[in-house]
Amino acid sequence: MYLIFCHKSVILNKLIKMSLFIRNYKPGVAYNAQILWRFNSTTAETVKQGEDEEEFRVLDILHKKGKLQKRVNRRADIQPDRSEKMPTDQNWGNVWPGPRSFHPSSVPLPIRQGYVPKGQAPPGKKANAELMKIPNFLHLTPPVVKSQCEALKKFCTSWPKLLNSEEAIEKNYPMEIISSDYCHASPTIRNPLARIVTLRVKLSNLKLDSRARDKFLRLVGDKYDEKTDLVTLTADRCPVRKQNMDYVNYLLTACYHESWTVEDWETDKCLEDMEYYDFDLNPSKKNLVNWYLMSNNEDNNLNDEQVKNFDVSKIPNGVEYKSAVSELFNEGESDLALNKYDTSVRKLLGLPEKKIAN
Amino acid sequence: MYSNIIIPRQWSRLACVCRSVASIEGQKLPQTSISSDGISPPPRIPRGSTDILQALAATVGNDPTAAHYKYHDDPFLIPLSNFRKRAYALSAEAGRKAAAWIRDEHANLFTTREWDPPMKMKTPYFNADPQIPAYAPKPFYNDESIVTEIDLKYTIDNALLEDAIKVFELLGGESGLSSELKLSFLQLLCFYNEKEPVAMEWVEERWFAAATRERHATTWKLGGLADKIFTSMEPKTPEAYCAIIQGMAKYFQAERAYALTQEAKEKGIPLSTSVYNSLLGCIGFLKEGVSLRIEALKGLLVEMDEQGLSPNTETLTACLKSLSAWGGGKTLQGVALQTVAEFRQLGIEPSLSAYYYLLCLFCKDQGPKIDILTNIIADLEKRESLEPTEAMDTNFFITAMGVCSNHLQDINLAERLHALLMKNDNYKLVGDAYKESIYYRHFVTVACRFAPFERTTQLLDMLIPNIYVPEPSVMEEILKALELQGAGARLAAAWRELLVFGHAGRARLVERLLRALSCCGREQDDEVKEQMQTVAADILKYGELAEEREEREDRRSPTQKLSARALSDVLELCADARCDAGWAAAAAALRRLRADAAEPAPAARAALAALAPRAARHAHHALAAATVSYLAECGFEEAIPASIETLSVILNRTTEEVGKLLEENKPSLTTSLQPAALEIAQAYHTAKTGTPLRDSGSSTSSDSDSESSDDD
Repeated sequence: MYLIFCHKSVILNKLIKMSLFIRNYKPGVAYNAQILWRFNSTTAETVKQGEDEEEFRVLDILHKKGKLQKRVNRRADIQPDRSEKMPTDQNWGNVWPGPRSFHPSSVPLPIRQGYVPKGQAPPGKKANAELMKIPNFLHLTPPVVKSQCEALKKFCTSWPKLLNSEEAIEKNYPMEIISSDYCHASPTIRNPLARIVTLRVKLSNLKLDSRARDKFLRLVGDKYDEKTDLVTLTADRCPVRKQNMDYVNYLLTACYHESWTVEDWETDKCLEDMEYYDFDLNPSKKNLVNWYLMSNNEDNNLNDEQVKNFDVSKIPNGVEYKSAVSELFNEGESDLALNKYDTSVRKLLGLPEKKIAN
Repeated sequence: MYSNIIIPRQWSRLACVCRSVASIEGQKLPQTSISSDGISPPPRIPRGSTDILQALAATVGNDPTAAHYKYHDDPFLIPLSNFRKRAYALSAEAGRKAAAWIRDEHANLFTTREWDPPMKMKTPYFNADPQIPAYAPKPFYNDESIVTEIDLKYTIDNALLEDAIKVFELLGGESGLSSELKLSFLQLLCFYNEKEPVAMEWVEERWFAAATRERHATTWKLGGLADKIFTSMEPKTPEAYCAIIQGMAKYFQAERAYALTQEAKEKGIPLSTSVYNSLLGCIGFLKEGVSLRIEALKGLLVEMDEQGLSPNTETLTACLKSLSAWGGGKTLQGVALQTVAEFRQLGIEPSLSAYYYLLCLFCKDQGPKIDILTNIIADLEKRESLEPTEAMDTNFFITAMGVCSNHLQDINLAERLHALLMKNDNYKLVGDAYKESIYYRHFVTVACRFAPFERTTQLLDMLIPNIYVPEPSVMEEILKALELQGAGARLAAAWRELLVFGHAGRARLVERLLRALSCCGREQDDEVKEQMQTVAADILKYGELAEEREEREDRRSPTQKLSARALSDVLELCADARCDAGWAAAAAALRRLRADAAEPAPAARAALAALAPRAARHAHHALAAATVSYLAECGFEEAIPASIETLSVILNRTTEEVGKLLEENKPSLTTSLQPAALEIAQAYHTAKTGTPLRDSGSSTSSDSDSESSDDD
């Protein structure tokens, strides 16, 4: 008796759900339907008992619900899922050879997925849209990957022996060309993004002196990254990759040679034109050298060129002073730079260290 | 209008040629895959455009649980009978055909290039980039089309025979063509005998095409277009002669072919080896009688030698084809062996077709057993690969398996042959759906009869139902094998297979299954026995449903009813029923037996006698009563002890007491006993005296009591 009662209440639940659907459904409003569908697909079938009692019974004059309830006759000759027939030692790669959305009858795993109220089991694998939505990697199990790698080995050449470290690669192949290939299902095999070519090279690998380097950097502009020392040139202006490749090569060649050429007007550059503070060119060095020579009672008649080439490391604490001054000018005033300047001057002149009053 | 598409078509062909040239050049590269100085990359290993795909595909093996990939992998959509397999595959292809028809008919609608930005100019008839000719609309020719020789060339190259004829007519017939084009048109006509072939792209249609046995009848169209073109050709080149003679010989117009050969010889026109090959194939049409035919065959070979033509494998095949078509007998077999030996001396190995004809010649169903297949298989196993070269090559495996099964009845040979078919890429030699099915029919039959049982079951699990669905005759063999081994669980599962394969309506098979079930039923475990009884109940229910449906729908072909013997088998099987299904089956079988007024098989008598008390013990009193009264009605002696025993169970007395009771208290029984017990008592008296209890004193006719027993 109790069993029968339970059965009835389940049917009642279904009826109520259906009526809920009919009443909420308005033609043309996709939103409602979608919500309901999600409700059906991912939550467990039961509705709380409390909700049943709140529902009004609907007078069903035309017996429409009876029609909806009618079960479609199942075909007799449907075979059981093939996952049930699979031996445990089968080769899974043969069953699932390629990417494919999830299919419950072919996967012999008791998978469950979906949102449920607390304490209930998630819906099983059959008719579970959640499992079909997510991409699966059932076609790329480790044994399959292994066998595919084995199959592809005969097309692979061995890695050159001397290129055994990152440094060796960088040394022998200083230039890097980056381009992308695309593979997709469409009537065309072309993809416009495949035309883009990027060339990367380390600036230190180019043979440049300081002047040429300076000029190269000015030519390249923001294509140079100081942190990694990489010059990155990208071309996408031509329709075909080959053309872009040629163009990138041309750019690098042109910049390189241009940076080596010396124009007449480049000699006109004077101290005021310098874009950074060079200690060796500035009066500060002359003063330092003069002071040093004087304090050592040495000859004090060096010309400008000799002053410029004077090795600061001969002067005790000279190097420190040089770097402190350069930093102060090149990087602007800051507490750190000023403090450094302070200490280096005190050291240079043999003054006592600054006493900080607490 | 259409000539503008021709050029890209030609371009694609040119590109194809370039590609092949490139790959040939690529193969000249050094094969070492090691870097020369340890720094520079090693030379690329040359590979074709699809080599990687093929290498990856080679890692995927066979999955016996899955249907062929052309079907949907879903239990509702996997076809399980031959009819469904055919219907599903062909309907899918019909859809493709409909799409192709719309594409061809309304080619002007397919103008967009989807991958182009919308601003760009749209080029019509470019379906992809690079263009895929197979997916492009086919040119459409009618009486108004403006055509050039390029169109004719295109239609000839693509074997569009009807279109080619149309274009030919539009171009003004025989007069308006260059001789070169005329020749290739003639060759096309001769090859297909002016009949449009099924296009290569309809794979399923070709696979399921009804395998009409090759007709050895003159089908060549005399006075057709090919003949007309040939007569109009002036001067007649050797190629033209070759084409027309081969066409005639292929379609068995032997006299004309031979006459033309003579004409060519008189004119001093050289003929090719393939012309002689085709003549050798139809030489039998010219002569009557085996010895004359052999003479003619040898004559032709000598003629070939005189012309300085060296024979090839097709020559051997053609000779054997003719020999096998002339019947059997020692003479022809001797000549055939001689021919093969001579060709072997020339270094020509027989092809699969040649072996097929040899098998046809030697292994006749009624003839003596000649084992040439062992040597043939040994020879084929030695070969590295079996390349199909002739159309008849696909007949070899099916014939050889037939020989294994019917002629030699040798399972080891069959296994070797099957291994050969599964080797490398050889499965393509299986032919078409029809041949595949026959091949497996032979294979499964021979395996069921002669293979060890484990191997048989393994084979059945692997092949059925996805690769092969057994026909009724093979199903019977399988049932026999299962019965012989007493594989009860498998027999119980066989009913489901019968149902799924659409054999459930065949009374013969179902009876066979019931026979097997009742035979093995005794030795099985209780669990299996229960399954078997459920199956028996299912079978009876299915029969009833089928009858109901028949009455309702008024079918033309009536469903076959189960025989009395089969029903007895059910009774025998269910005599020790434990589950409800078993009792139900027994009751249904009994009901039907009584309805048909049929006598049970002798073996079933004892089973019935045993069934009655047991049914009574399990409180199935009605069934017990029915059983006993049926026994009594049929006049079997077993009715008396059975009724006494049953009654003793029902009344809970000893048999002696019941015996006395039945003997003494005749009139009082009618009032004191419950209906079932009363019926048993009546049966007892029927069996003893030939008249029922109630009527012993009265004068009611015997018609009424037969009615009363029917009511129960």
